[in-house]
Amino acid sequence: MEANLNKEPILKVNDLVVNFNAYAGTVQAVRGVSFELYEGETLAIVGESGSGKSVTTKAVLGILPKNGRIDGGEIWYHGEDMAKYTEKDFYNIRGKKISLVFQDPLSALNPIMKIGKQIMEALILSLKMPKAEAKARALELMKAVGIPEAEVRFEQYPFQFSGGMRQRIVIAIALASDPEILVCDEPTTALDVTIQAQILDLINEMKAKSNVSVIFITHDMGVVANMADRICVMYAGRIVEVGTADEIFYEPAHPYTWALLSSMPDLDTKEKLFAIPGAPPNMITPPQGDAFAPRNKYALALDFEEAPPYFKLSETHYAASWLCHPDAPKVEMPEILKNRIKRMKEAEEKHGK
Amino acid sequence: MLKYIGERLLAMFITLAIILTLVFCMIRMMPGGIYDELEDITQEQLDALYAKHNLDKPILVQFGIFIKNVVTDWDWGYSLKLQPNQTVWGILGDKIPITIYENIFSLMISIPLGIGFGILAAIKKNTWIDHVISVMVVICISVPSFVFASLLQYFIGFKLGLFPIVYEPGSTGFAMFYSMTLPIVALALNPIATITRYLRAELAETINSDFMLLARTKGLTEAQATVRHGIRNSILPILSTLVALFTNIMSGSLVIESIFSIPGMGGLMIKSINAIDYNVTQATLVFYSLISLGSILLCDLLYGVVDPRVRVGGKKE
Repeated sequence: MEANLNKEPILKVNDLVVNFNAYAGTVQAVRGVSFELYEGETLAIVGESGSGKSVTTKAVLGILPKNGRIDGGEIWYHGEDMAKYTEKDFYNIRGKKISLVFQDPLSALNPIMKIGKQIMEALILSLKMPKAEAKARALELMKAVGIPEAEVRFEQYPFQFSGGMRQRIVIAIALASDPEILVCDEPTTALDVTIQAQILDLINEMKAKSNVSVIFITHDMGVVANMADRICVMYAGRIVEVGTADEIFYEPAHPYTWALLSSMPDLDTKEKLFAIPGAPPNMITPPQGDAFAPRNKYALALDFEEAPPYFKLSETHYAASWLCHPDAPKVEMPEILKNRIKRMKEAEEKHGK
Repeated sequence: MLKYIGERLLAMFITLAIILTLVFCMIRMMPGGIYDELEDITQEQLDALYAKHNLDKPILVQFGIFIKNVVTDWDWGYSLKLQPNQTVWGILGDKIPITIYENIFSLMISIPLGIGFGILAAIKKNTWIDHVISVMVVICISVPSFVFASLLQYFIGFKLGLFPIVYEPGSTGFAMFYSMTLPIVALALNPIATITRYLRAELAETINSDFMLLARTKGLTEAQATVRHGIRNSILPILSTLVALFTNIMSGSLVIESIFSIPGMGGLMIKSINAIDYNVTQATLVFYSLISLGSILLCDLLYGVVDPRVRVGGKKE
């Protein structure tokens, strides 16, 4: 991770703004998001529903819904700004350089097309691979993602596969063309817990094999802990805190990150599980200051008036909270979280990670 | 698959037998005697006529004789009044091809056009193209085909003189098709609109589905994704409307045929019912039932071809 500092990022998103036209007005889904993705790392984007994490990656892939548009910012990839790309330019990127794994494998596959054909299709149509070669590659991929009897399964239809198996197929399709970046949009949300772990292991395994960079979107902090090298915490269309996994888990600085970590269930916490009060703001009229302020018991008066800038906490760790300002009153993170972090550190030492 | 078709054919046969029995009994229950208007006829002559057509026997015996003749000799009896002493099969044999042509042609026009307009409207949803198509669809569905028939006859046939106003009997080949153009168009408008409406709704939904998005993210162009994944998935639910469509055209042709004086099955059925010609009526009704049952069977089989969930899922291991 430390090596990242010297490397050039493979993907650099700069002050991205995405708006949607809705009947009620313009929804400001993403309001100035910046992040970098380095080669071979897993960047997790964490946040609750509607925080703009999926929209951000959809903008990167050029698959925003018809009523959505990029209204500002840049997406730098191989020296080109993808924010200015047309559909035709994206065609050269999608499925070739950047691939997507969907949230719901049950609806992501065409129900009436054979599995094998769905894997081969992009290879043949988009990469102009001969059919025999594409078939060999598809079978190889199916075996790689852990499909037993790949030759038989090749001729079957999605309805003959379980949810976990379908997600393996979706991953195989995403990896078919050896992409540089794999975007996983909540890939385990629709799966049951035992399958979740298998799919996460699979993604890690594939990553180790091909050195693909992964953007991993989730709202599940437990999943993040297993996957991420670095973490972006998103709230109301902004990144509120970014840091390495250790920094976010052991030294969280933004009250929203505190709240997220506190609301993560674990076995040792004796108190009632913490829930973040209130609801996310309406993104048609986002609040003026820190969007989290109304739900934040640590909010300062300034939080309601002016959006906080990013405060640098370390080379890799930034947080957008006025609490990080040198003149701000010293506020300690909640007691539950402190205890929890202490336990996590102890557990880690015990296992000698 | 063969077993499935066999089972379906058997079920179809039973259905047809029930229809036939009902039809046979019901047309004989219609008010009015066959030879009521023949006033200067003697009782002996009348008895002879009844005896000739077996009408003096009990209805069950009549039914038995009818079935036996059809099964053994393909003998559907003689026309009682419409064209007396002609065989029913002979009369039908002339009319069936005309009606079939007329219906097949309008289906052949309406399916591709309906699919084309449907796709166009779905892809261009909420643009002026979609709005124009939608307005046309509403007009074509709500206005009955005989109104269009009269309008076409007046404007295109009479005012512009592009096509014949009525069918030219005895014409063959292209001339027949030419003189049938207006009725075919009149019959096709409603089915075109129906297919367009269903396909637009289905495809507009399919386009927003996850697997279409996946198709694009794995590297297909929007057009490739729509053609390869969108259309086939949205045609599936439309298959069932095709049956309704076909019977719809058939019943539409009852009226259209008389407007354009086409000597087809529709006109024959109405005339035979009015004339109380039992033998012709029951044969035409059997014809219409067969067509409906056949198209239902065809449609169910097509489901299996298009949808693997029906084909593979239905297989008992």
